[in-house]
Amino acid sequence: MIETSHLSKMYGRGIYALRDVSLVVEKGEFVFLTGPSGAGKSTLLRLLLRQELATEGTVKVAGRDLAKLTPNQAQSYRRAVGFVFQDFKLIPSKTVLDNVGLVPRVLGATSVQQQRRTFQVLKWLGLQHRMNAYPLELSGGEQQRVAIARALVNEPALILADEPTGNLDPDLSLEIMNLFRDINARGTTVLVATHNRELMRHVGRRAITLDHGHLVETS
Amino acid sequence: MAHWFTYCLEEAAASLWRQRVSVVLAVCTIAAALFVLGGFLLVTVNLDRAVSRWSAAAEFSIYLDDEISQEQRVALNALLREHPAVASREYVSKADAAARFTRDFPDLAAGLADMARNPLPASIEVRLNPARADGAAIEAFARRLAQTPGVADVRFDRQWLERLGRIAAGVRWVGWSLGSVLLLASVLTVATVVRLALHARRDEVDIMQLMGAPIGLLRGPLVTEGVIQGGAGALVALAALYGVFAVVRGRLLAVLGASADAAGIGFLPWSAAALLLLVGMAVGCAGGYLAARQVR
Repeated sequence: MIETSHLSKMYGRGIYALRDVSLVVEKGEFVFLTGPSGAGKSTLLRLLLRQELATEGTVKVAGRDLAKLTPNQAQSYRRAVGFVFQDFKLIPSKTVLDNVGLVPRVLGATSVQQQRRTFQVLKWLGLQHRMNAYPLELSGGEQQRVAIARALVNEPALILADEPTGNLDPDLSLEIMNLFRDINARGTTVLVATHNRELMRHVGRRAITLDHGHLVETS
Repeated sequence: MAHWFTYCLEEAAASLWRQRVSVVLAVCTIAAALFVLGGFLLVTVNLDRAVSRWSAAAEFSIYLDDEISQEQRVALNALLREHPAVASREYVSKADAAARFTRDFPDLAAGLADMARNPLPASIEVRLNPARADGAAIEAFARRLAQTPGVADVRFDRQWLERLGRIAAGVRWVGWSLGSVLLLASVLTVATVVRLALHARRDEVDIMQLMGAPIGLLRGPLVTEGVIQGGAGALVALAALYGVFAVVRGRLLAVLGASADAAGIGFLPWSAAALLLLVGMAVGCAGGYLAARQVR
């Protein structure tokens, strides 16, 4: 599903955030991306979301070389990938239903289709009773579940999550991680960036470790 | 496509409402620019109408010698009949000319009656076909008529009409020049207001971009905002223009009386009003697009 080859990303003059990283994540896998702050986890995720382009090397997702996508193709690619952020990135002026329904809406789903799909996902995540609430009326855990619902609503083949439990307490973190495990069990490839080793031990999946931009371990 | 259109309209409407104060200022700026442009357009349209009306009424008056022979009269009539610019002609005898003089200038009529013989010449009044009355060719024709045997004089009142036409063109040029500068300022004003709207919605736009919303959908509401502002500005300008026009026309009619020329003063035709509306929307669209280009 994900393949990087000799991937490097340089900022400014000679400062490498990633250097010569080659890795493979198979379809249907659940992989942790870990390492200390500044290791390059977020940079790798930004490259995978095509928010940035690699300085050297290639990034391929589902066989597509991300560097070769036009801006419109990049947007189309993003619609096929679910992304979950540490700070949730929900639109405060829209309700839970509208936040989650945004992606189907821009994809042209009819109102009925959009509401049905959104409701199904919210129900699966136990948020159906909060669908008319605004993000600021929700707890941190609920906000992150809404963000996960938004990432899932389009039934993506790949979910990328950048420190999704970074702003949550340990119980909620565990709950969110279990959700990712359930999502993976349905066949979706999941790549979660985290430095929470306890959660990784709890879930017990392969981990790719970065340090100072280098791939140091994959276990 | 319809859902994109609905989405753009809804988002634009919500954004315009959120920053209604700046939007009102932008609409006023566009309205002021289009009011100036529309004002010049209104003046030139009415000048053009007047020129056209007077041109249609333009005529030669061919004064005949008292001693014109029958052959000369026939030859003159043949010359007029064959010329394509001649729409119609009317013979005014010496007696008809005296009757008109008496009717138009009653105070002087007694003097004419005291004369031993009628001094007024017979004439042929020639009405021209405006579509075929090319300026240079008509002047040449007038000169030729003046040299025709049996013709005492030819009076042709086209020159001042051409001068009026040139004035109308000058006014139109000044209007477009001034209007263009003001419209450019309007584009920049709209762009600034839309940029403010984008700034207020930056997080939302960034999130939608990360979710894979098409670029067109991200830019669409911003361009729509501009188009709505431009359209609203144009409608305000047209309303203000009509108000001012009604007042000025009323005063002109009071001064000039209900003469044909004063009564002929009219508001912009539908096509010109629609053009002004389109220009306003285009200005708004350009401003919106200028701001929307920041989303990439």
